[in-house]
Amino acid sequence: MQSGTIKIKTKLKTRWMVPLLMAGCVLLGLLWFSYARAGNDTASLSTWFVDMNQYAASAHGSLKCEECHGLMVGNGLGKGLDRGKSHPDPDAANFLKTQTRRNFDYQSCRKCHKTAYSRFLKGEHSTAAAKEKTTGNPSKTGYAPACGDCHSAHYSKSHLSRAQTGKIMTETCGTCHQEQKESFLANYHGKAAVNLGYEKAAFCTDCHGAHTMLSLKDKEAALNACLRCHSEAPPEFANIIIHDSTKNLDLKSDAKKSGIKWVHALRVLALILVVAVLAFFFMHTGLFMLRKLHEKLRRHK
Amino acid sequence: METNVKPQETFQRFHILHRILHIVIIFNFTLLAVTGFLLHFSGFGWARFLVSLMGGAGAAGWLHRFCAVFLYMGILVHIFWLFYYKFVLNQKLSGPDSILPGKKDIRDLYQNLRYLFNKGNPPLFDRFSYLQKYDYWAELLGMQSMGITGLMLWFPEFFAGIFPGFFINIAGYFHFYEAVLAVLYIGVVHMSDTHLVPDIFPMEKSIFTGKIEKARFMEDHPEEWKRQQINPS
Repeated sequence: MQSGTIKIKTKLKTRWMVPLLMAGCVLLGLLWFSYARAGNDTASLSTWFVDMNQYAASAHGSLKCEECHGLMVGNGLGKGLDRGKSHPDPDAANFLKTQTRRNFDYQSCRKCHKTAYSRFLKGEHSTAAAKEKTTGNPSKTGYAPACGDCHSAHYSKSHLSRAQTGKIMTETCGTCHQEQKESFLANYHGKAAVNLGYEKAAFCTDCHGAHTMLSLKDKEAALNACLRCHSEAPPEFANIIIHDSTKNLDLKSDAKKSGIKWVHALRVLALILVVAVLAFFFMHTGLFMLRKLHEKLRRHK
Repeated sequence: METNVKPQETFQRFHILHRILHIVIIFNFTLLAVTGFLLHFSGFGWARFLVSLMGGAGAAGWLHRFCAVFLYMGILVHIFWLFYYKFVLNQKLSGPDSILPGKKDIRDLYQNLRYLFNKGNPPLFDRFSYLQKYDYWAELLGMQSMGITGLMLWFPEFFAGIFPGFFINIAGYFHFYEAVLAVLYIGVVHMSDTHLVPDIFPMEKSIFTGKIEKARFMEDHPEEWKRQQINPS
């Protein structure tokens, strides 16, 4: 009797397993589909079509479209492209197909954001852009970004706290500078700033400059960045490694390269020591417990 | 059964100062470990939540440093007491009662390992067994290196003026690895060897009450017991 019921139970189980698994697969597929779609939606932020509800809540919400884009309708009043024909031109071959971020003329940002724009022109991202133009190839990190690659003109909100901005920034910079993001988050600065929302800690731009985006390979520039918070930092302070990563070592200064080698050698040594000491004492304690237990049980008999 | 037995004869084992210092260490060590590991694991939601309960990263960092200073003050008090013990009370720091490691400890370790594999009798410990000595020295010396690496992380401006910059990074790793070692050693080895031993479980109280029962004294510290019988102090 008993074995019979058990058999029925196991049969039931297997009978339900297959449809359950199939349902699971379908569910996973649906999840993946919606996730991929959601991904597409975020990727389409700030392309040809603008969600006006989100736009109205953004920092630029009070601006009219033509203040940045010029007149789109062919009423003869516009200049350049806009004259005569509507923009975008439905008859054009690449209608709604060009990459808006790469083609937009960011000169219009300059009208209001003069300081940011002039800093950007002096910065490393525009140096990279100039290099890209002459060589025709993007750098290892990818295409040099212009304003719209980091900022969303339509959706970015104003009056965010330092920590909120910093969290978004770490993700934004991290899309191209993945290793730097990881090593920053492994460092005390990143942990306190991004993970714990500590506003006194440094986010990306606090060291690298908001629009200049210095690589800080130059020791003097690096020290200046440290001095913003650590007012008594001696010159050697700039050789403290913030982005502690053994990947892409050739991008780092010589002092940092040799520093990282020492740090990692000693780190491995420390790890071996810790594991050895713990292994010995854990075994010692384990055996000791067994022995004492054995003796106690023997006494009870 | 035990209620019918007369209260056992007890002997004084720990001075009041050492019992207080032990509590100081428990309190600060725990808080240091908690706040420190919360920073290290701050990428996880639960760690973020606990830090927010403490009042944010600034408050948790302050607590970590406060406990570090408090703990080190305990160590300084202990070192002052050692000097007082030696020069004012004119007591000996060496000898069989000493916490200093000696040749007997190596013999005891060897004999104990043999005993663990059922190849002989357990060693006859004196006032401090080699494990107790190791506990003591691990704490006393470990806190020195935790203190130095901690100070390097606390005042990197000062230490970068003395050492190369990457020493601060090394200090960071050493501070973390030694914290892991200390927490796993105290949490597993020290806790098991003192409290989890079947004869003592659930708790060894002598470091808190200062007293040791006659039976435990005779079994755990037979050499000291023997000397006490010959020459009661």
